[in-house]
Amino acid sequence: MSNTQTNHRSQKKYYFSRKKYCFFCKERIKLIDYKDVKILENFILDTGKIQPARVSGTCSYHQKQLTKAIKRARHMGLLKFVEPRRG
Amino acid sequence: MKGQYEIGYVLNPESTEEDVKKVADSILGIIKKAKGEIENVDEWGRRPLAYRIQNHNEGVFTFIKTDFDGSVVANIERRLRLSEKVMRFLVLRLDDKLKKANKLTKKWQKIDKNAKKTKTFPQKEKKDEEELKIKNEVKDE
Repeated sequence: MSNTQTNHRSQKKYYFSRKKYCFFCKERIKLIDYKDVKILENFILDTGKIQPARVSGTCSYHQKQLTKAIKRARHMGLLKFVEPRRG
Repeated sequence: MKGQYEIGYVLNPESTEEDVKKVADSILGIIKKAKGEIENVDEWGRRPLAYRIQNHNEGVFTFIKTDFDGSVVANIERRLRLSEKVMRFLVLRLDDKLKKANKLTKKWQKIDKNAKKTKTFPQKEKKDEEELKIKNEVKDE
């Protein structure tokens, strides 16, 4: 029994030990442009929702810009709005 | 007060090349009258939309980067709103946010300096760059 318990613990630690970093800080992007859709698409879920910062790991400075850029891109018809769930 | 602005607009897919030129010329004319400078005109052309706008699946995109007086913005927005071919438009000011963004460069410079002092960081970055290069090469192929 003792062995199984330790295994569970080790697995949990393994899962949460992956390092997160801000994509825009690493690429040294100062201002996020709403026109580069290829980058913005990476921060959108399949439903069209904006990915939370705690999932993607972006810093607060860039997350604020990201949300604005995505909303601008939606207005211009470059990105989709949130789709309602079917059924 | 001069400022850096970006004008973007989406045209109807039914509009011909002449219509695209007409709209662009009308806006560029307003800017030239106000003694503004045109940095570049970015024409994307026809592009599929992410969702239907006015029952159209396509749009003609154009983006104009300019330096001009801020008092003209209202004039340009009115012109875009009144023209029937324009489906969506956006006028943004860019330079006021650059000041905030320039603070980041100081941060990054500090990080780079610290990375140079300690020998461990640059090696890691190099490894990452090599991996990225290999991935990019694979994608290109």
